[in-house]
Amino acid sequence: MAQNLFERIADECVDLYRVAFRRRRHLKDLLDRDFRIGGLARAMEEQRTARNEMEAAVDRIMGAAERMVAIDFSDPDAAAAVVADCCGELMEACSFQDITGQRIAHTIETLGALAQCLDALENDNVAVGDVAEKSSLLNGPALPGNGLGQGMVDELLMADDKS
Amino acid sequence: MAVDLKMPILIVDDYRTMLRIVRNLLNKIGFTDIDEATDGKDALEKLRKRTYGLVISDWNMQPMTGYELLKEVRGDAALSSLPFVMVTAESKAENVVAARQAGVNNYIIKPFSAEILKAKLKTVLGDF
Repeated sequence: MAQNLFERIADECVDLYRVAFRRRRHLKDLLDRDFRIGGLARAMEEQRTARNEMEAAVDRIMGAAERMVAIDFSDPDAAAAVVADCCGELMEACSFQDITGQRIAHTIETLGALAQCLDALENDNVAVGDVAEKSSLLNGPALPGNGLGQGMVDELLMADDKS
Repeated sequence: MAVDLKMPILIVDDYRTMLRIVRNLLNKIGFTDIDEATDGKDALEKLRKRTYGLVISDWNMQPMTGYELLKEVRGDAALSSLPFVMVTAESKAENVVAARQAGVNNYIIKPFSAEILKAKLKTVLGDF
């Protein structure tokens, strides 16, 4: 009887170990430094940056709208010039959608990889997919402080011309 | 020699908003004949069907990126001298160097102003 109990406990322990071992394998993907820093941490920073960019764009759009509301139409030529200027401002401001769209796409990709890892962890038998490896030349919009400004790009193009 | 404002221009971007912005800015400068493509593959097909005076392309698009499009254009005898301006959020030095080596005529970082676009087009095409 005691022997039987010990055997059952031992079997349970072995099963527990096997489950823990397999789950740890799945957790390894989530704990991977590249995933946490290049994926999760970057996705959070992308979202913060996108929020700030949207705020700045809305500020520009609102500013242009307010300038148009305040136009004095008693001078039609001057009024037309302000409207044209404000329309240009509105169009430029709308370009935020492209940049924030790329930032959000990065976050969606990271969340997709996270969901896949959690799915594998729950079901145990689902293979964990790697986060899609991107070409080194597809970096997406730079985070604040990274990336080059237009002036530096121009210099780089000219420097390359001279070399 | 002044630039022909009626010359066909192809703009390539996978974001409709950007296509509209660039189209409107080009209209504002005075260009009137503007076509659109949504990725490099679509652009290449259009470039092989019609003669354009300029390509303004984004980088990050699928299935064919703007960088791949640039290399295809430079490798095609019929298109190799076509002015090509990259307008992109890719602002790493490695991107700029790669584009320059592939033969890009100018490189504009998004977001950009109408003044920047106009200045770069003048550099590439001449005065207008």
